[in-house]
Parts: sequence; structure tokens; C-alpha cells
Amino acid sequence: MKKLLALVLAAIMTLSVMSFAAAEGTTLTIVAWDVNTTGYLTAQKEAYEATHPGVTIEYIDVSSQDYDTKVAAMLAAGDSSDIYMVKDVPALMNWYDAGYAMNMNDYIAASNYDLSGYVGMEVNYNYNGEQVALPFRSDFWVLFYNKTLFDNAGVAYPTNDMTWEEYKEKAIALSGNGNYGTHNHTWLSACVNWAVCDGVNTLIDGEYSDLAYFYQLVQDLEDAGACMAYSEVTAAGLHYSGAFGNGNIAMLPMGYWYVATLINNIKDGNYNVSDWGIVAVPHKEDVKAGSTFGNLTGVMINKKATNADAAWDYIAWLCGEEGSKVTAGTGNRPAWVSEGVAKVMSSVEGFPQDENSVAALLPSYVAIEIPGDPNASAISSILGEEHSMIMTREISIEEGIEEMNERVQELLSK
Amino acid sequence: MAQNAVPLTAKPKKRKMGHLERKNTLVAFSFIAPNFIGFAIFTLIPVVMSVIMSLMESKTGAIFGAKWVGLANFEEIFNVAKVSGKIAEEGLLSGLTYFFNRVDLGIALKNTVFYTVVTVPLTLVCSICLALVLNRAVKGAVAFRAIFFFPYVASMVAICVCWNFMLMKDGPINQLLMSIGINFNKSWTADSTMAMWAIILVSVWRSMGYYMVIYLAALQGVPRELYEAATVDGANKWQQFWNITLPQLNPTTFFSSIMLIIGCFKIYDTVAIMTGGGPGRATKMLVTYIYDTAFVQFNYGKASAIAMVLLVIVLLVTVIQFSMEKKFSND
Repeated sequence: MKKLLALVLAAIMTLSVMSFAAAEGTTLTIVAWDVNTTGYLTAQKEAYEATHPGVTIEYIDVSSQDYDTKVAAMLAAGDSSDIYMVKDVPALMNWYDAGYAMNMNDYIAASNYDLSGYVGMEVNYNYNGEQVALPFRSDFWVLFYNKTLFDNAGVAYPTNDMTWEEYKEKAIALSGNGNYGTHNHTWLSACVNWAVCDGVNTLIDGEYSDLAYFYQLVQDLEDAGACMAYSEVTAAGLHYSGAFGNGNIAMLPMGYWYVATLINNIKDGNYNVSDWGIVAVPHKEDVKAGSTFGNLTGVMINKKATNADAAWDYIAWLCGEEGSKVTAGTGNRPAWVSEGVAKVMSSVEGFPQDENSVAALLPSYVAIEIPGDPNASAISSILGEEHSMIMTREISIEEGIEEMNERVQELLSK
Repeated sequence: MAQNAVPLTAKPKKRKMGHLERKNTLVAFSFIAPNFIGFAIFTLIPVVMSVIMSLMESKTGAIFGAKWVGLANFEEIFNVAKVSGKIAEEGLLSGLTYFFNRVDLGIALKNTVFYTVVTVPLTLVCSICLALVLNRAVKGAVAFRAIFFFPYVASMVAICVCWNFMLMKDGPINQLLMSIGINFNKSWTADSTMAMWAIILVSVWRSMGYYMVIYLAALQGVPRELYEAATVDGANKWQQFWNITLPQLNPTTFFSSIMLIIGCFKIYDTVAIMTGGGPGRATKMLVTYIYDTAFVQFNYGKASAIAMVLLVIVLLVTVIQFSMEKKFSND
């Protein structure tokens, strides 16, 4: 009896040791937003786990709406998750200031990580010479267009070197019979941020006369009935996605993220659009064709990470050739791009195969939407308020720009 | 006898608590504890932290490690440098005009006070009228009571989105106005003046049903004899309403107005959904200002300072409530 008991106990011990051994390996915890609805997160996890046995990726899901606030609270509470996804630059600056983000310089040097695929975009995550995050996704803005509406109206398709004046002419020519030539979403970015595409103007410089040209353009288009009025779009809470999906809007300047939404909704039969394409956003006469602006989505290593080395290995993979191909395979635009990655992007099922759409994947210049600056959020709020005043025609363009200049300069002088 | 007398000034001896008494006290505390712990964790500690944070510069929401800045946040929200400069150079009126027209806090305060001053009496008048009409034994009174109460339990988002549609440029409200000769060719929420009235309209429409129910209950409590006596004395309906009904409803009116004032100062959801504080700063309220400062600009110190201003206002209203309670009671 005693022998039997000893055997059973020994067997239990062996089994528990075995199960412990099986559970060994590294578990990387990554804090991200909307994990279940963000396709590339699952694809990245599956691809990395398949090629790196012994590493398991676990996402901690935080809602995208409160992401920055909740992450700030988690980091302040001493959370030891390994990697944090970075949604916007001002938030990253706050985390860096508070000492939560690890400096990646040593890792980059030790592993000979190639930064050239970013074409300079990584500088937006570099503070005081410290690379505190690396971007893995970059959503620059392109012009979506509905080929069917162009064909029906007998108007030539837009091209990658179209100017804003040509865009305006086309938009007006395409309007009528319930159709709109274009659609400006309500954000300041979607209406006038094109001024930063010259690489000189920024939204934080305190001087906004460069926006006047674009405000006039949008108001002219509204007056000509070539797009829905801002006040109506705001009051109706109309989302750009559904607006273009209705099939009566010929052009839509929007971020590259809309590609994945468009492909999926067309596949599911939700949209009344069948034949579409993308081209570079139009440019002013004095700005290089193919210039645009965009945002970055990145990853940073938590200073209190449990597995900092493993976290870097993952980041080097995610922000390199292999990871970028996986991200591109889900219809998203990786920040690190090579010709091989661009090929994967255009081979996504449902992506338009015309020459212009494929060429639009490699813009000539990408400015950052709003640079990292301690005042960036406060400036955005001021610009947003004056933007709504100009767009609802409560004040003239000149008055609005004057207000923007005065209020932002007062803020900067503090 | 004199020897046994206890001097009047002597302190009564402190009585020791018996076992049973101690046990009872502990039981009493254990009943209070869950509520108090919840109150402490979710209200008291956050309030104290907010007071401390208003004196600090915090970009992450954490108190530990945040920089102590004293009253700098208050100086910033009141724009003391600019406003005091204006007062010194151009006089008090000019300084105040600048504060209420240019400084974010001044604009938010002005908007919130305007919204409160209009919404509170309007809601009270509408709910009293509704209660008086539906207090009679008319056909369908119960159904109408339910209909008017319904907005109060309906989803705020749904209500605001529907009203936004109704107040659009070509919406039913503008068409109705056009039929009586008023041509307002714009969405209400896209107009600096009408946006505020749109919010007031929705707020009154939403809460009048709730206060109607409170007034209905109060009307049931007005003694019938008073009306009978007034009728005998020859008082007409208007005189009865003015001299009996309204004074009898005083405590309810007082309670309702206090609740409404505090609610108005805390307005957020309607504004966030309908106008987002715009156009420009036309409907920027104290709470939307706090939200933007804390959760859009990540300036928790400054946001806490604005919250302190709101706290002082709500405290003042509460103090007035306590001091006037007796005056408005029926006893």
C-alpha cells in the first residue's frame, strides 16, 4: 500500500515538473488597442509565434478611445508589460518625460538594425538623441476615387501628379444628379492640413496663413455643390467611410487605413462601390507631386519590462522586412518599406491593380501630421475650435486665421 | 450630606463600554463600513487627490513624481497675467470683458451660467404646466405621463442624435419655422447662437418629464380643503393657482431647482454629442473644458484646477440651499 502511494506521489511530481517545463518559454505581453478588431495584430502574433518557437505573445486590450489615458495610468502604477503600442506622438512624449520608455539606441547599435526603410520617419520618435520607440505602421493620406462615377461622367481618372486646381475642376465636373465630386471629412486634417506637405509649414509653428488657400478651396467646393457642407456632415455625424461606401461620392482624401476597411466592406457586400483606385493626394504648384502627410503607429519597450531583450527581438522583427510584409499582407501600410514590402501591399486581395494605385504606395515625401511637441494637444484644440468657426462660416477665413495665430502665439509665449 | 455632595464643576466620570455595547458598536460600524469604504475609495480619495493635483503639473495623471507648481495652474486658467494687465491698463470692465470673451475658463463659465440661468426656470415652468394639465382626471392622462417621462429614461446618445437630425438645415424644425415665416437657413448646431439654444431645448425636453412626476406627487399632497375654502371665498382658478397651488409647491420647486442647478453645472453628455463644444467655443462648458484639458491635452494639473472652480460653484449652491431651506418649507 505504501509502495503504491509512493508511486502515485512520484507520478504526480513528475507530471507537475513536466507540465512546468512545457509552460516554460517567454511570454511577451503587449498592450494594444481594439485587439479583436485590428486584423494586423493577430497576423503579427501568429507569424512571430510560428517562426519563434518558445515565444508566446499575449495582448492586453485597451479600448482605442481611452488608450492614452489608460496607458498613462498603467505605466504610472508600475505595470510590467513588455511592449506598449504607441498611438500618437504627444502621448509618447509624455511617457518619455515621465521616464516610462526605454532608450533603444544600444539595441539598435548592437543588432545593426537597418533604419533606412523608414526614409527618415523614425526621427519623430527620437527625443534628445534617444530612440524611444520605432514605428511599424504609417498611415499617410491618399486620394480614393470611385472609378464608376468617373466613367459615368466621362471625366478622366485622377493621376499621381494632379494639382489641387485640377482636383477642384474634376470635383465640380463630377457633381450633380445626387452625386458629389468629393467629400471632406470634418477633421482639420481632412480639410486643410495639406499645407504641411511642403515640409516647411507645421501645425505647431503658430503661423497659419498657409491654411487659407485650402479653406478657400473647400468653401468653393461647398458653394459649387461639389461636396456636402461641413455643418451638415457634422450635424448628421456622417462617417466618411459610409459616405464613400454609398457610391455617390467620386473622390475622398483619406488616410491609408481606409484601404483595409474598403476592401473588407466591399467583400462583405456592405458598400455600393465596386471599382475604385487610389492616387497620391493632389499638390500645390510649388510642392513636389506625391507629397503627403501621415501618422505613425509604433512600439516602445517599457522600462519596467519583464523581458526587455525578448521585447527588442520582437520589435526588430516587427519593424523589419519580415514583420512589415506581415503587416502589409493585412492591407495596412508598414512604416518600414522596401520594394519587396510594396509588392506585398499591392498583392492584397481586393487592392486595385492599376499602375497609378500601385505607384501611389511609395509617396515622394511624407510629412508628420502634427509633430511631437509639449503644446501639440493644446494647439490642436485651439485649431479645432477655430476650424469649426471657419467651416460653419461663423467667421471669415481671414478672421479665423487671425484668431488661430493670436491664440496659438499666446500659448507658445507662456 | 454635605460631605457626599458632588461639586457641580466636576467632570462626569467616563463610563467604560460594556462588552455588549462594544459588540453592538462594532456591528453598527460593520454595517456602515461597506458604504463608507466605497465612498472613500471612489469619492473622498479622488476628491482629495484632485485638490492636490490642482497644485501640481501632471501629464500622466500620477501624483507621485509630479512637479509641485503651487497656484500656477490657477494663474494659467484665469490667465492672471493678461487679465490683470488689462485691468491695470484699461480698467476693471475691460479686464472682465477680456476674461469672459477670450479666456477659455471665462467663456466656459459664461456659457455654463447662461445655460443654467435659462434651463432651470424653463424646465420648472414646463414641468409645472405639464403636471397641472396631467393632474386632472382627463382621458389618457396616465399614457401622457408615461410619454413625457420617457425621454428621461431613453438613451442620451439616441436623443441627441435624433435632435441633431431634427435641427439640421433642412430638418423638420427649420421647415416648421419656415411655414410660419421664419427662415433660418442653417443647422442649429452649426450656428454660434443657436447651438446653445439647441442644447437648452434638448435639456428642457429631456428633464421636464422627470420633474413633472415630482410635481405630480407634490400636487397630490395639496389639501383639498384649501381649494374648497377659496371657492367659498369667491377666488377664481388663477387666484387659487397663484395663492394656493404655487406656495404649496414651494418645497418641491426649491428641491427641483437645486437639483437642476447642480445638474446644469455638470452638463457634459448633451454638449459632447451634439456640438462638441462648438462651433468654436460657443457651447464650451466647464465640464467639457475639464474633459478636454485632462483627456485630450493630458494636462491633469490644469484640469484639476478647473474642477476646483466647479467644486467651489457647486459648494456655493449647496450652502445657499442649506441657508434657504427654512424659508421655502411649508411648515
